[in-house]
Amino acid sequence: MTTAERIRAILVKNYKLNPEHLTPDARLEELGVDSLAMAELLFSIEDEFGLVLASETTPIATFGDVVQLIDELIAAKSSRAALEHNTYSATQSLVITADAAQQAP
Amino acid sequence: MRRVAVTGIGVVCPIGHSASEVFEAARAGRSAIHKLTIPGAHRLAAPLAATVHFDAAEHFEPPRQRLLDRVSHLAVVAAKRAFADAACELTPAERARAGVFLGTGMGGSQSMDDGYQTLYGEQSNRIKPMLILQGMHNAPAAWIGIEHGLLGPNLTYSTACSSSSVALGEAWLRVAHGMLEVAIAGGSEAPLSLGSLKAWEAMHTLASVDADDPATSCKPFSKNRSGMVLGEGAALLVLEPWERARARGAAIHGELLGYGLSTDTGHITRPGVDGQAAAISAALASAGIRAEEVDAINAHGTGTQANDSVETAAIKRVFGARASRIPISATKAIHGHLLGATGALEFVLSLLALKNAVALPTMHLQVPDPECDLDYVANAARVGAAGRTMLSNSFAFGGTNAVLALRAVS
Repeated sequence: MTTAERIRAILVKNYKLNPEHLTPDARLEELGVDSLAMAELLFSIEDEFGLVLASETTPIATFGDVVQLIDELIAAKSSRAALEHNTYSATQSLVITADAAQQAP
Repeated sequence: MRRVAVTGIGVVCPIGHSASEVFEAARAGRSAIHKLTIPGAHRLAAPLAATVHFDAAEHFEPPRQRLLDRVSHLAVVAAKRAFADAACELTPAERARAGVFLGTGMGGSQSMDDGYQTLYGEQSNRIKPMLILQGMHNAPAAWIGIEHGLLGPNLTYSTACSSSSVALGEAWLRVAHGMLEVAIAGGSEAPLSLGSLKAWEAMHTLASVDADDPATSCKPFSKNRSGMVLGEGAALLVLEPWERARARGAAIHGELLGYGLSTDTGHITRPGVDGQAAAISAALASAGIRAEEVDAINAHGTGTQANDSVETAAIKRVFGARASRIPISATKAIHGHLLGATGALEFVLSLLALKNAVALPTMHLQVPDPECDLDYVANAARVGAAGRTMLSNSFAFGGTNAVLALRAVS
């Protein structure tokens, strides 16, 4: 499932929204998702995607805004993971090199 | 001072969901107390409670349902029923002079219990974002105000077991003094979480299970009484000036005559004869009636050793030799102790008892106690009871004693 599909599923399940109304431009407040519901929605999204959102997120008005925010966070998380993996690999190769040096006659 | 009419009754409680249901249950002495089956009930020494048959999903859309603790669910539905009963449509100008007065002892304790379970039990940091709004004590009153657009004072009273009697009394004051045109007042409580029950158990105030019949475990004024049984529920009433109610042709359930307050300062939990008697006397003075005019009393009557003997002594102190001729009803025997909501429910039952000329029974009074030697209308209703004027007593941990005086419509 895409990010949009997963978020749409949460909105349909928790707020009984019509999925057809959840277009990228759909303003969530007009669909009944007020600021409190938004806080609850973001909590559910954190659970769904395994993310932790900052206390102050960028302004979210539309369904598309939510999807974009989550996609950006997923991308950032992937980059961090890749960076950590690369760093780990580089460190390991240094260690191996050092070990190899120690073992050198 | 204006006379204050009660024109709307809304209840969501263990013995029923309407005035007629609760009255019939109380008249028949049908106990709603039963063995509790919540998760973890086996950890309770005496797993007893009076629960409400109530599914919030039948009354709220899912997002709103999740936003409210059970204490608010119960309060909002009871308020809706009270306004429907009062057939009271408010104009925008009247809404500006309409207020909410609600008593609750423990607020959204179930939600807080759930939050603690997440944080400490599960060692998770995933606290739900609505927890503060669910747990705060003023949430039930706030939601009633929001639902009905009531723009005047919105006040929550938390004086433990007298909370809703205080709420009714404070609402009465404002309506009687012309500060408000309409008030919705009463109480709500939803304390039946394992955490709350264990905390009450630790106080050694809860009744042990009657081995023969758990429904009879609460035994006010009986020598073998062993404590109170917790209950949940809400009772809300619409109050308005007598003349307004008459002018709009409202059906008037009765009159709230006045309200007395006093405080026991001797101990945080131990009731005192002086304080209770002072509150009763203050209610008489507030209502402008003499002790001889009181025809019946709804006792606080919790079923604890301490309360029932002290309350008996306080009634004797005020009414002297006549005390033994006043019918006294302790209805907690069947609906349990609704803590912050109990005063309002007992006020409702008192109104209905007067309206129907019935002295409601004190059930499960099995063994006479020399220290409780008044007329408690033991075990059977007294139909055709004469009288128009009653008191409803509420006494609390923390020492806030509140007594309401009420009268039937002549």
